[in-house]
Amino acid sequence: MTAFLTIEDYRLDIPTFDGDLKVLDGITLSLEKGETLGIVGESGCGKTVLARSILGIGPARGKRMSGRMVFDSIELDELDESEWRRIRGVKISMIFQDPMTYLNPLFTIGRQLADVVVAHGRAKAERTPSRDEQRRRCDALLEQVQIRDSARVFDSYPHQLSGGMRQRVLIAMALAGEPQLLIADEPTTALDVTIQAQILELLRDLVSRLGLTVVMISHDVGAIAAIARRVAVMYAGVVVEQGRTEDILTRPRHPYTQGLLAALPEIEGERHVLEAIPGTIPNLIHPPSGCRFHPRCPRATDICSVEKPVARSIGADHVVACHHALA
Amino acid sequence: MSSPVTMPSPDAGRPPLLEATGLTKVFLSGGKSFKAVDDVSLRIPQGGVLGIVGESGSGKSTVARLVMRLIEPTAGRILLDGEDLSAMSGEPLRLVRRHMQIVFQNPHSALNPRHTIRDAIAEPFLVQTQLRGIELERRVDGLLDIVSLPKAFKYRYPHELSGGQKQRICIARAVALEPRLLVLDEPTSALDVSVQAQIITFLQELRERLNLTYLFISHNLAVVRYLCDHVIVMNRGRMVEEGPTDAVFANPSEDYTRKLIASIPRLPQRAQT
Repeated sequence: MTAFLTIEDYRLDIPTFDGDLKVLDGITLSLEKGETLGIVGESGCGKTVLARSILGIGPARGKRMSGRMVFDSIELDELDESEWRRIRGVKISMIFQDPMTYLNPLFTIGRQLADVVVAHGRAKAERTPSRDEQRRRCDALLEQVQIRDSARVFDSYPHQLSGGMRQRVLIAMALAGEPQLLIADEPTTALDVTIQAQILELLRDLVSRLGLTVVMISHDVGAIAAIARRVAVMYAGVVVEQGRTEDILTRPRHPYTQGLLAALPEIEGERHVLEAIPGTIPNLIHPPSGCRFHPRCPRATDICSVEKPVARSIGADHVVACHHALA
Repeated sequence: MSSPVTMPSPDAGRPPLLEATGLTKVFLSGGKSFKAVDDVSLRIPQGGVLGIVGESGSGKSTVARLVMRLIEPTAGRILLDGEDLSAMSGEPLRLVRRHMQIVFQNPHSALNPRHTIRDAIAEPFLVQTQLRGIELERRVDGLLDIVSLPKAFKYRYPHELSGGQKQRICIARAVALEPRLLVLDEPTSALDVSVQAQIITFLQELRERLNLTYLFISHNLAVVRYLCDHVIVMNRGRMVEEGPTDAVFANPSEDYTRKLIASIPRLPQRAQT
């Protein structure tokens, strides 16, 4: 099967007064149609910048230094703004962490959802859908995200809905253009755990029902494990390890992945000693030489500060970028 | 709620350091009243760690604030080491406050951006003690040592520190006057998991070293399971369930608790290396 989205050696710098921030350092990822890929990492690892770059809404001053992104045979980096308009929301859509920020507090849900429906109607059929068509489409979208009392939600203002409801509305908007790829950036982080479980269930349902391809970004390994078949672990702008979720979580090979999992408190079973990763995340204006994790790595040797480890395959669909990946 | 099963507890013989009975808080807004906390009772023995878990809006942070007397309870009594806090005001309340301190969720907003770290840690001494000059500087150095930060941090400003480092400063400031009770309101929620692990481990050590008693508020059940010996589950201002942490997590007796625990995504178990 050919890849649906391919990211190859993608390098992105953001100029600042103090020097260039090297936020993405040679990202290589690919995912197949209908697949859900999780990208997990701690704050500042570049996961959100990467996600937004896929949609061409990366940092305004960001400079691509190398690499490319290809989606469904389209070279994303060569699109101009008018071509992007035929991709965003139509082929690739995105949902965000805090739904309140992305809804206008002054308009009803119905009005805002209808705006999106009208915009897509114009783009696709080159005419404005009638009022009745708009309403039918909105109801269908709200039903798709399992909102049962769609009439009430349609007439509500954002503040009248719960966080979970608002996130459902945002997902409905993202689906309005019938996209093939959905990028979900921390979609459950602002939600309570019982609501998080519902939203994850909804995303799983959409994947199987609509054949959606999903890239889900999260700092929460648990949320990723609940939804993604494959996972990529990011640290300081580098994908350090990627592969099948089951393999990465049960047999992590990169010292950072191992450290991240050892730091997680568990809800059941024996309480292991929580191990913190010593040190702090590096300044990406002057990232560590060689492997960016080496100053905090328990297995670092001389080579680690000199040579950047090449990502190598260590099993079926399991890639690690480490000089000392445990065999 | 059903009355909790009485379990033989290692703390059984010791008198409670903190005891609150019938705590209720009604907020009034726009002519409507809202019961944020409804008849909550708790007791923490000296040296114990009580966790309060619940989702947003459950009233858990309001309980923390009530216990600290940062807000006035509508009803209920709070006893700290047998002394009735709810009846206190003015100077006696100010004096008793040195025995209980609070650490907030967001270390980025809890520190004054225009004060150095030294000023942040020295402030409790200036407010509550006569300690000044070289002695004060020694105490500040000692506190930085307790939270494992270099003395050079004294002259830095909060923005120069990471989130985990800032939270350590907040903890240093909270333990400065050697309080007996530390209220921790979501102290790791704004932090990354690797930093959260540092803070949890550190809090465990600190409790033993300084003989502290904790009231630990969190929405994160896994963290509560690691740190607390007793737990209260709250929902919509009410206590749903309480008991020893292991018993509540292994055999929750209420539906709400079961649902809360079941909602947490499970990770496949790591292979032993």
